[in-house]
Amino acid sequence: MAVMKKTEIELDHRFDPRTCRHTMNGQVSVLHCHHYATLYTQLAEDCGMLDGRKLLTDVAEDAFREVLSSYYSTHGLDDVAQRIAIAEQYYAAAGLGKMRVLCAGPESCEVELLHSHVDAGWIKKWGKRDAPVNYITSGYIAGMLAAIWERPARSYSVVETAGIVAGAERSKFSAAAN
Amino acid sequence: MAIDRKRIIDAMSQVEVLGNDEGLIPVFGVFVQQLPANFWNGFAERLTRSVDPDSLEAAEWLLVNAAHECGYHTGYGIITSEEWKAVVEPMIENAPEDILHGAFAVFTAWGWAKSEVVELKPKKKMVVRAYDYYESDVVAYGISTKASAYMIRGVCGAFMDLAYGGDYDPTGKTGLRTFQCAQTKGIECGDEYGEFVVTPA
Repeated sequence: MAVMKKTEIELDHRFDPRTCRHTMNGQVSVLHCHHYATLYTQLAEDCGMLDGRKLLTDVAEDAFREVLSSYYSTHGLDDVAQRIAIAEQYYAAAGLGKMRVLCAGPESCEVELLHSHVDAGWIKKWGKRDAPVNYITSGYIAGMLAAIWERPARSYSVVETAGIVAGAERSKFSAAAN
Repeated sequence: MAIDRKRIIDAMSQVEVLGNDEGLIPVFGVFVQQLPANFWNGFAERLTRSVDPDSLEAAEWLLVNAAHECGYHTGYGIITSEEWKAVVEPMIENAPEDILHGAFAVFTAWGWAKSEVVELKPKKKMVVRAYDYYESDVVAYGISTKASAYMIRGVCGAFMDLAYGGDYDPTGKTGLRTFQCAQTKGIECGDEYGEFVVTPA
């Protein structure tokens, strides 16, 4: 019987006492709370000046595509299952929630969240609502897919089809190549 | 002042924060996340550089407000936490002023900004200097005409709310936004440090 080796993410967290900055795997990282994340989400929705939802999603895609691409390259990870495992584990380690990739190919992907920082934070702050709120995670998924399949940013569109914030048991996402 | 900044920074910078089995980090009465700084910078900078000039002030207010609320609630969680009680509280002789000095040491330890209070007139004015902060990373070359430390502005105002704005209100309806903060200097603007002046709203 084949033995599957479980992929475990390696997190190198450091604090530089000179600059007083924290880094995670070489990238400057910072702690913020659910008030900050949900208010940025609300800002993205209410911002009449431009398409704030797309802005927040795009920024998340760019940031996490870089994180994951760098990790895959540094650790020589070529296997799709390993790449997905790392993406799920990074999401959890960052405190964004528990993500499960149900299926993924170069053209499409299905993802669900069993727990979600923004859903939980939104409910804690303002209660439930009908529309989903996970623009940051939508960007994360787009960035993850671009990193896994080594494609440029904006290669995938992600739609949140169900939200914990709206009463669903899990938040669900469907992604397709553009 | 009895606050030993170095001791606080040494202790609080070592607090390990990673997601639990649910991928969540519930600490200090809030959920926290640990994300790349360029994510937060990216949103703030793209937003403020993309809006019509007439809308810039409104966009900046929204960014500062997000940090103000974050700083108010998370700040309260920090100054009532077990970690605070163990490390900082024994140093406090003169509240709330020592609490403010201690809070900025924690602010420094957690990588928000290497900052300290350089002037404090109780209930009237606080001046904070930040010698290194991730929000200045939006400029990698040259100097910007736009100050970009929206997060620091919000948190400075929030900490003064907690010190002098009355009892903590978890709903944020009272106590929040009794102070406001202006950024008067910025590393991103070519200054040696960022400077933040907090006054009553």
